[in-house]
Amino acid sequence: MERVLIKQGAEGKLYSSEFYGKPCIVKERFTKSYRHPALDKSLTTQRMKAEARALLRCRMSGIECPALYMVDIESRCIIMERVLNSVTVREYTRTLQEKDDAKNLLSLAKQIGEVLGRLHSNNIIHGDLTTSNMLIKGYGENSRIILIDFGLSYFDSVAEDKGVDLYVLERAFLSTHPNTEALFQVILDTYKDNNKTGAEDVMKKLEEIRMRGRKRTMVG
Amino acid sequence: MAAEVIANELFPDSTITLALFRNVENVKEIRQCVMNGTFEAAILKTSMIVDPFQVIVAANKAVVHQNKVGKMMTKNVHSEILFNLSPSKNISDSFRKFGAGDTDQSVFIAVIDDKTGQTLQAIQNTVKGQQVDVDEVKQLSDLNNIKKIYKLTDAELSWSPLDALVTRIAAKDIMTI
Ligand SMILES: Nc1ncnc2c1ncn2[C@@H]1O[C@H](COP(=O)(O)OP(=O)(O)OP(=O)(O)O)[C@@H](O)[C@H]1O
Ligand SMILES: [Mg+2]
Repeated sequence: MERVLIKQGAEGKLYSSEFYGKPCIVKERFTKSYRHPALDKSLTTQRMKAEARALLRCRMSGIECPALYMVDIESRCIIMERVLNSVTVREYTRTLQEKDDAKNLLSLAKQIGEVLGRLHSNNIIHGDLTTSNMLIKGYGENSRIILIDFGLSYFDSVAEDKGVDLYVLERAFLSTHPNTEALFQVILDTYKDNNKTGAEDVMKKLEEIRMRGRKRTMVG
Repeated sequence: MAAEVIANELFPDSTITLALFRNVENVKEIRQCVMNGTFEAAILKTSMIVDPFQVIVAANKAVVHQNKVGKMMTKNVHSEILFNLSPSKNISDSFRKFGAGDTDQSVFIAVIDDKTGQTLQAIQNTVKGQQVDVDEVKQLSDLNNIKKIYKLTDAELSWSPLDALVTRIAAKDIMTI
């Protein structure tokens, strides 16, 4: 299998390749020599299983994500569909901001809010929501969001955990994309429309978490 | 029409041979050949397959597990393909649903490591039927039954059933452990 390294991260390597003729991504996780081998193995296993489970759960709930092709716990690698003609929402947002394309930024924010509302109404916590962990295929009104990078995900109905998920995204979003406070509010508003039963509690929690965050930075 | 011989992506020395036969008159006899050891192969029910890639994902997984201690759930790599295809954890139920039935008129065959082509030759000699392109299996699938057996959700069918099935197959043991 010919592999092209596309990302060398702290947790592992990402390759672009083909799996029996289908474009794929191979996500390989390192062993960490500073960790106890048993702990290291169980952490890696946990993340790989979390990723595989979430890819299945999302798909079953109608939330778009790559198809899963193989999980090999022993070799520490997952092979999944490579989403063709996609860019990260991070790159896409940058492009739209450079072009001052308010219309498409607005529809992007709505799309993000919608997919996250549906994710949480299905009790899937992503665990690492950033604009790099969302892909977008197409442009403007004809685009679709595809969620990726589920290694820290889990299933829970607790509002607090959903609040933390949104808080992580808020911090990442506002720091990566300057002057997007209003846009982030659109994400939250659309989120509420798509997670009707739970959103109110989640918003309360989000507010609490923000307060805690502020206190911490004031003290620190 | 030639069968497809594919090198395993992860174990390049290993191969997966796929073949499809239609207008088959003797599935019972073919199955007996596997049971009495005349040849080793997975004899699959065509109506449960939407695309050859579905079988490849199950066969690849069987080979990966064969090379690891304690990973196989069934007695050999060919029965493991049937088990991997099935959403059920019950082995005999998986064989019944995904193995070709005695009255079926087509069979999809997968053979692991048939390096010399001997097994395929033996199968071709045994099958009373017509060998066709493996892609023709797409015309033979019974999507309604597939939906029922895999319990595919409507939401999941917003995209191709193939992607839904391969994801199910790849994640099967992860969901149970
Ligand atoms: N299925 C895919 N299709 C296309 N591109 C992908 C896919 N998966 C990942 N990528 C690209 O690779 C980048 C990194 O992927 P990913 O976020 O899964 O890895 P990571 O951040 O290293 O993972 P982790 O945080 O679990 O260690 C993504 O931002 C995206 O650009
Ligand atoms: Mg990432």
